[in-house]
Amino acid sequence: MQLKYDIPAAKALPLEEGESLYYCVPYDVSQEDRSWITDGYLAVSSKRVFVLRGSEVVKTYTISQMKHTRAEVTIGGGMLVTTIDGVQNFIVRYSAKHRTRFAYMARGINILSKGRTEMVESHEHETQCPVCGRALTQSGICPKCADQGGLFRDFVKLVVPYRKRIVVITLVMIMASVVTLLNPHLQGKLIDDVFKSEDGSMQKAMLFLGGMFFLGAGIVVINVIKTYLCTLLGTQIAKDVRKTLFDKLQRLSVQFVNDRRPGELMERVVYDTGNIKQFMQNTFCNLFTVVIIFALDVIFMVLMNWKMALLAFTSAPFGVWFTLQFRKTIRRRYHMQFRREDEVSSNLQDVISGMRVVKTYGKEAKEKQKFDDLAEQFSKISFSNERFWALFNPLIHFIMGFGIFFVLMYGGMKVLDEEMSSGDLFKFVTYTNMLYQYIQWMTSMPREITGLISSMERINDVMMQEELIRDDDDAIRHDIEGEVEFRHASFGYKSYEPVLEDINLKVKKGEMIGIVGPSGAGKSTLINLLMRLYEIDDGELFIDGIPLKDIRNDYYHSQLGVVLQETFLFTGTILSNIRFAKPDASYEEVIQAAKLANAHDFITKMPDGYNTYVGEKGMTLSGGERQRIAIARAILKQPRLLILDEATASLDTESEFLIQQALERLTQGRTTFAIAHRLSTLKNADRLLVIDDHTIAEIGTHEELVAQKGIYYRLVKAQLEMQAQAGA
Amino acid sequence: MSKEINERKNVGVSQEAVDQMITTRLLDDAKVRFIKTEGGFLSLETEEKKYARVKVLRLFPFTDPNRYISVRDHNDKDREIGVIEDLAAMSEETQKLIHEQLDLYYFTPVITKIFSIKDEYGYAYFHVMTDAGECKFAINMGANAVARLSDTRLLITDLDENRFEVRDVSKLTVKEQRRLDLFM
Repeated sequence: MQLKYDIPAAKALPLEEGESLYYCVPYDVSQEDRSWITDGYLAVSSKRVFVLRGSEVVKTYTISQMKHTRAEVTIGGGMLVTTIDGVQNFIVRYSAKHRTRFAYMARGINILSKGRTEMVESHEHETQCPVCGRALTQSGICPKCADQGGLFRDFVKLVVPYRKRIVVITLVMIMASVVTLLNPHLQGKLIDDVFKSEDGSMQKAMLFLGGMFFLGAGIVVINVIKTYLCTLLGTQIAKDVRKTLFDKLQRLSVQFVNDRRPGELMERVVYDTGNIKQFMQNTFCNLFTVVIIFALDVIFMVLMNWKMALLAFTSAPFGVWFTLQFRKTIRRRYHMQFRREDEVSSNLQDVISGMRVVKTYGKEAKEKQKFDDLAEQFSKISFSNERFWALFNPLIHFIMGFGIFFVLMYGGMKVLDEEMSSGDLFKFVTYTNMLYQYIQWMTSMPREITGLISSMERINDVMMQEELIRDDDDAIRHDIEGEVEFRHASFGYKSYEPVLEDINLKVKKGEMIGIVGPSGAGKSTLINLLMRLYEIDDGELFIDGIPLKDIRNDYYHSQLGVVLQETFLFTGTILSNIRFAKPDASYEEVIQAAKLANAHDFITKMPDGYNTYVGEKGMTLSGGERQRIAIARAILKQPRLLILDEATASLDTESEFLIQQALERLTQGRTTFAIAHRLSTLKNADRLLVIDDHTIAEIGTHEELVAQKGIYYRLVKAQLEMQAQAGA
Repeated sequence: MSKEINERKNVGVSQEAVDQMITTRLLDDAKVRFIKTEGGFLSLETEEKKYARVKVLRLFPFTDPNRYISVRDHNDKDREIGVIEDLAAMSEETQKLIHEQLDLYYFTPVITKIFSIKDEYGYAYFHVMTDAGECKFAINMGANAVARLSDTRLLITDLDENRFEVRDVSKLTVKEQRRLDLFM
């Protein structure tokens, strides 16, 4: 991301000796009337900050007086604020476009105000292409300027691996075209040589009819082969795209997946790849046949009688023009139909998942009304679209086929004048009809292609995402000992909104760290970083003194044991769920793990024991039961690093007590990070970490923190009071 | 004295905190004073306390932008000091000051005219007129960039997370509505 724009106004700044320009970034909202502007810049030199508007310096600040400069996020934008003599000063405002840039500015100014001279740099991508202004993908690639050839080349790339099969299909298609075109020729001959000819005989007629029969049968056979090959091709391409897409989805960051509705990603894997299949099968495979026949058809017609051919063509341009005119309308109409359909299904999903709430609040009638309205809207638009199509299609047909009347009139006159044989006229008329038929077919192409393009766009959106966490080539396989160190670690899900700032923490091997703090303070984020679901923005994270990013990701993950608050069980048996992380575990090991997790008893009581089917279509387990299976899963793995995020929060007191004891054994000698709201859960922790206001507010043993009488002390007191009140 | 919607009498150490949490304190123009600070922000003086910098937030930004404005203490993690029930009922001076701050904290240009929308490579490029002037922006067609606040009201979020509002789609020309249809 650019932090030093080269503008004349910045060069013209009256800098003193020894003062040099550090940064120059644009702001795009006027300070007076909050309107868009294009000539506002903030220039930062080693000593001063200048607010520029055009070539004029509007405000100047002295950096040595600026304390604690911040880029505050506002609704839809942001502002740069600094404290001078204890008073907070507004410096400049900007739209959301420049939030990140100004977050860097604030950092840069703070560094300078502390007397340091290093320059901050940003490795983030711009959102717009500096050359053409188009939106860049997350990987910072301009779809146009990077010239990957756009969607056409993407499509070529997609089908190239199947080129051999496509050659075969093309040959079949050529055969189909030849056979199709030969038929009218024979029919014309039959009329001229048998019906109208003096020496027409039954024998000759049979010969022609036999020929026509074979051609007819030939078309059927060729079409069957063609359909078979095309279906195979379409299915295979779709399967391969689906595989790559799924693979990519798995490698993408949690953030990308979190940013989207689950249904949306499913749709891309299932529906959009299905669209590609449909296109390959129905459109692409007929494309060559149609183009070949169309070309030959035109050539034949021109060769037979060019004047008549011209007459036949007259109406076609109108038809095509008409169709193209309606292309946008068609797209808009079907898009809206698709949207309404989507609304109906998401509303349905909402109501079904929220059934209990709807029922307990007695809102069935209202929900019914809402659904009826949506269904009504959908039915209206689909009816309107069908009607439109029903009207539009014959109309095009009519306009397109108008030329046939001229052909018949002109050709008929020629036949009467005996300048043309009736067989030839028949042949010509058949070719003309064929031509219209194929033009007609081609007019539906825009619709098919639009469908393909939007599916490919959606697939590309996924494929072009950058994998945020990727192993370096020289990443190592490291067996974790259990020492963890955060050094000046900062992180934000959005770079302008830090969630954790300057985290410094050194954890010894085998230590248990309890993490407490108010919701939203960044506890889970800290753990997400430790699990390497996200990469830290600034600072470093070491495992046994090795930077985490130098350790192979899959190898690292295979040594983590994680129990989260919400446990997900995969469709399958309890056995396969416990074995998830260690598929080759023996029955004894599984039972042992289940016993340690206090799960063995309830599993045994299930009708199918460890083979009980759970998951979406299986047995429903309670939250506590699921949790215990998750704990068994973690125990079985014998992890080197254990992470517990509210692991026992959803359990009843008795199971919690039992599991606490089980966990004690599990955490023995293992580095453990445990988040808990109930402080009693953390009584075994060697040290407690209080996270508040984006950073480590307090750290120490239970006794130390209580003695400090800070946040932890207040939390303990509040919980004791709650217990006392509950007991009273 | 400021009105209190909820009142609860209870004993206990943290009761004060509970009361603070569940009570909405309505700010009375006669009892509080907003003053513009040297730095361009707003400070507040109540009977009990002086707040060096307060932040104003709309509780119902779309349905009732000028009523129920939460006034928060910027220097204490944006803790709520009180709520202005109706801005129009405040003195002209206060209204002016609050509006100025709201303008500073909120930037959601309202689209008044759509010159063109072009879609390409999965992004749609808008060229529009807003109440903050003419502008161009791009949205991702794959993500949910257009949210429907009501049947006729849209909130569009562009690639940079700027937000644009269409107050009433039906007030746009038919041609403009057609352009928008692809995103509705």
